[in-house]
Amino acid sequence: MNNDQTQPLEYSTEQNNLNILGFWIFIGAEIMLFATLFASYFLLENRTGGGPAGEEIFTISPVMLETFILLTSSFTIGLGVHAMRLGRQKAMQVFFTVTLLLGLAFIGLEIYEFTHYVHEGAALQTSGFTSILLTTLGTHGAHVTFGLFWGLFILIQIKKRGLTPETTNKSFIFSLYWHFLDVVWIFIFSFVYLKGMM
Amino acid sequence: MKELFPRKQLLGFVSSLILTIVALLVYFLDFSFTVGLTILLITAFTQAALQLVVFMHAGETKDRGAIYTNIYYGIIIALLTIFGSLLALAWGYV
Repeated sequence: MNNDQTQPLEYSTEQNNLNILGFWIFIGAEIMLFATLFASYFLLENRTGGGPAGEEIFTISPVMLETFILLTSSFTIGLGVHAMRLGRQKAMQVFFTVTLLLGLAFIGLEIYEFTHYVHEGAALQTSGFTSILLTTLGTHGAHVTFGLFWGLFILIQIKKRGLTPETTNKSFIFSLYWHFLDVVWIFIFSFVYLKGMM
Repeated sequence: MKELFPRKQLLGFVSSLILTIVALLVYFLDFSFTVGLTILLITAFTQAALQLVVFMHAGETKDRGAIYTNIYYGIIIALLTIFGSLLALAWGYV
């Protein structure tokens, strides 16, 4: 382990650098995963069969709220990484906790939305449209849910071990994942919801 | 306290809120489909670039070349997949 003092702690070893680069390559693969979902969505969005169309089941308020919540959480985790680089462990823990709470609120709203869709007669097996809609939203929601547990475990580790090359590296990589999910949501918000309600 | 809220991140956050509000105009105002979709394409991709550069620090280390190449590659394949599917299966050009 050759510690490079000129870099932030999360980049301080060769292993750490490779972990971060590796995660970027994983994000490249995730872009593809969501691209295939979007491609299928655009092909199937008019195949409503006997079920409802997008404009009949989408409502603007929860979607707007979800968007602002996720944008804010992306901001707070950015502040968390910034505090981490200043060595301010307490502040970082606060920012990460706020991020996870916002993530939890997002998931709560999404669960509410899903039950609303099912009540409106748009279940997973209703039509081509509803099945790709729920699969796309669900894949994103599953990523956020996974992120909640991941972030929680990182917070526990930070609390137990403090800011080390390992824990800061993990936290930074988690922040990349979280920002990426925000980016995916921006595309869902724009090209599933707003386009569908236009 | 002030050092915990750097200008760059605050500006990034405010810009992302503004971009979201502009995108929402598509719903609240009455645009044609083409104009609306153009607005959405611009706001979504700007927003994505903003996250990548401001919050994900994509260009801050010596690996920036590899990182950007990988992301561009992912985006190109994503666009080819999406528009290729639309071209062949929805728009009926093949």
